[in-house]
Parts: sequence; structure tokens; C-alpha cells
Amino acid sequence: MDVTDVHHSYRRHAVLRGVDLRLRPGVLAGIVGENGAGKTTLLRILSGELRPDRGSVRHSGRFGYCPQSVVLDDSFTVRQHLDLFRHAFGLADLRRAEEVMETLALTEYLDQRAGLLSGGSRQKLNLTLALMHDPDVLLLDEPYQGFDWETYLRFWKLATGLRDAGRSVLVVSHLAYDIDRLDQLWRLEDGRLHHQDRCSEAAA
Amino acid sequence: MRRHWSLFTTASRYALIGHARNRFAMLLVVLYIPVWIALAYVTIPDRPAPFRLRATGEVLTPPGNHLTQITGALNAVTLIAGFMMFAATFTGGAFDRRLAMAGYPRHHLVLAKLSALTLVCAAVAAYATAAAGFAWSPRQPLVLAAALFCAALTYGALGVVFGSVLRREVEGMFAILMISIIDVALQNPLSSSGSDSAVVRFLPSYGAVQASMSAAFSSAPAAQGLAIQSLWLMGAALAGFMVFRRRTRDALPPAVRPDGRRDLRGPTSVL
Repeated sequence: MDVTDVHHSYRRHAVLRGVDLRLRPGVLAGIVGENGAGKTTLLRILSGELRPDRGSVRHSGRFGYCPQSVVLDDSFTVRQHLDLFRHAFGLADLRRAEEVMETLALTEYLDQRAGLLSGGSRQKLNLTLALMHDPDVLLLDEPYQGFDWETYLRFWKLATGLRDAGRSVLVVSHLAYDIDRLDQLWRLEDGRLHHQDRCSEAAA
Repeated sequence: MRRHWSLFTTASRYALIGHARNRFAMLLVVLYIPVWIALAYVTIPDRPAPFRLRATGEVLTPPGNHLTQITGALNAVTLIAGFMMFAATFTGGAFDRRLAMAGYPRHHLVLAKLSALTLVCAAVAAYATAAAGFAWSPRQPLVLAAALFCAALTYGALGVVFGSVLRREVEGMFAILMISIIDVALQNPLSSSGSDSAVVRFLPSYGAVQASMSAAFSSAPAAQGLAIQSLWLMGAALAGFMVFRRRTRDALPPAVRPDGRRDLRGPTSVL
């Protein structure tokens, strides 16, 4: 994924002032930034949800995006969500979704309606929908909100597994405890991305 | 072709499941329509209520309670369809967007929603016609059902528009309610003399009111009323389609949207 000189403003308030980013295959990267720094705006632009005022985003291969807020239909069961997104992605089967659900321990809730799931289980389904088509480029916005410690560790196992399989994974979070798990780290500040040395970040 | 059909039927099935699980709307359909119509029948006096039907120029003199039953049926089906579609659009907006971004074709999604709306409105209109015709027989019951159906569809499409553009649930509910009150009250010959004013021709259910009055109390053709209502319906449906498209649009150009299938043809996306 190549991002070049992306600018975006909300009315007069400039949020992004020239973001440049290159994400190679087989890299697990992170973006940190204070609240309101524009992390979610940047991810919405990278995912195609929002058009930037200026700049370009290029990425190749299948693409997956896990939004910060859980986006589900409460009236559908987990199985029905998978069926709908299987059609959306044009998948022949749900093999990958089943693997992800197994890793996240979601399988037992297959016939439960999303509206009745706990916050953590909803987030697991949110993440499964982003991963079920085995994307080459994966954008994750605060992907482990609501996870218990066990699931949090399973998430990182999943993310490193994807990286090892040659996928590009970009995680946006406050990441205070996760820096050592990343290959690359950027800080979003003053509307631009600054490459961070992970040791100095950890010290900060 | 099989893939298109599969996408359409899948989306339609889930749209109907979504409506069926809207318990409050189902309760309104089952109870509100017959209760409203029955109360109008027993509480409104049955003395003749003469009025001139603008569409045909004919002076009709139906019993007051029958007249109120027809306006009540119109009011009930429009409110129910409007609320159902508003609720479905408002709560499902982000989900529809996610589905579209994942590669679900928007045309299939919107056609499925329209099909589900059509089925729901047909069922509600048939139910309301049966309820209105329980104690007396409308002169043209099929035309009455068609008028109720068109009115419900129009409000259903307006519900989609409000569900897409308004930010708060209460705003949409009030918008539909207030439009319906103005619409039906101004056209009701019992409650207002305004039904003879030219202004009423521009109200959203004018065609349906004219057609349903013709159908209920005369044997005069109601085609003109249905045609006028169809214009409103098409306008509202077009507005609904446009706002749905706008809300689910993808900032990445369609030819290079990197979902699984298209990716095989064009591996690089450029914004």
C-alpha cells in the first residue's frame, strides 16, 4: 500500500496535512496518535470510505477493513452475517471464517443473534467479517476493544500469523503495550505521520 | 446471471428477515390497523358526509364512519410503512455501507430492499382492505387495496430518504408523523374543508386518497388517482435510491476496488 501526500479537512479544521505511508507485504505496522489526531479519518480514507481533499492511495490485492465501531445488524445471527458477507466477497466457502472464529473462540455463538452477543463477541464478529476473505492488505482500527486478555493474545497471534503469511497489516490504536509486537511504527502528529523508533516510543 | 440472481435473492431474504424481526412494526400491523378501523366504525356517527371528489367531480355521500375508516386505513398503512422503512434504513445504514464496501453490488441491495418493501406494503394494504371491508363492502376492493398499496410504498420510500439523511431517530419519526398528519388531515372532508383547495393536489397521498374514495364509495374509475400517486411514488423512490447510493458510495474508483474478484483483473487501486 502506498499513500502519498494525503490531505483532509473538516471545514477549516485541517486534520491530515500531507500523510505519506508505504506498507510492504509481510509487515505488521502500527499508527499511534493522541485522541483527535486523525487516526480514524486516515483509516477511513485508506479504506475508501472517505475521499481525501488531496493525495493518493494505492494498494494491491484483496483488502480488509475492521472499523473502530462494531458494524453489525443486530437482527441477524452470526451465521447469517457470514452468509451475507460470503456473497459480498464472492467466496465459495467459509473455510477462512471458520478458522478465524475458531481462533477467536466465536464458533459456539454461530446461531446467536448479534444483538444478544456480549461486547467482546460482537467485536470478534466485527473482526471475522474483515478477515474472512483472507485479505492481502488489512486495516484494523482499535481492533481489540472489549477483548479479554486471552482473546487479546489470540488476536496478536492471528495478526502475526497473517504477517508471516505475507500479508500487510496496519493497526491503529493507542498501542501503549503493543509496540514490541510491531515491525514498523508511525506517530500521527500535526496531520503528518512520523516514523518512530520503537525503543524510544516505548520509553516515552 | 445466476450470480446476480443469487445476490438479489440473498439480499431480499435478509431484508425480509430484518423487517420480520422488527417486532414493534409487526405488532402495529397486526393490531393498529384493525383497531383504528374498528374504532372509526363504532365511534364516528354514520350520518351521510357529502363531499365532492375532485378527481371525478362526483358528489359522494358515504356514511361518516365509513369515510373515516378509509382515511384511517390510509393513515395507518402510510405510517407503518414509513416507520418500518425509516427504522430499517436508519439502523442498517452503516451495515449496508459495510456490505457495499465489501463488494455487495449496491443495485442488488437497493432492489432487494425495494422488493421487500413491495411485499410488506402489499401485505399491509391487503390486510387493511380486508379490515375496512369487514362491516361493509367497498365498491371496488381491489382498487382500494391498490390505492393503499401505492400510498404505503410512497411513505416507505420517504422513510428510506429520512433514514438516510437524518441523524437522530426521533427526527425521522417526527418527520414522518407530521407529514402524515398534514397530508391526511388536510384531505379529510370530515375534519377540514381544505380538501377542496388546490393545495391538497400536491400532498403526498393526494392520488391515493382520490383513488381510495372512488374505490370505496363509487364505481367511477380511479386510474387518474393511482397515476398521480404513482408519480409521487416514483419521485420518492428515486430520491431514496439516490441517497442510498450516495451513502454507500466507495471513494475508491469502482474499476479498481480491491475486492477479491475485481482484484484478479486490476491489482492496483488508485485514489
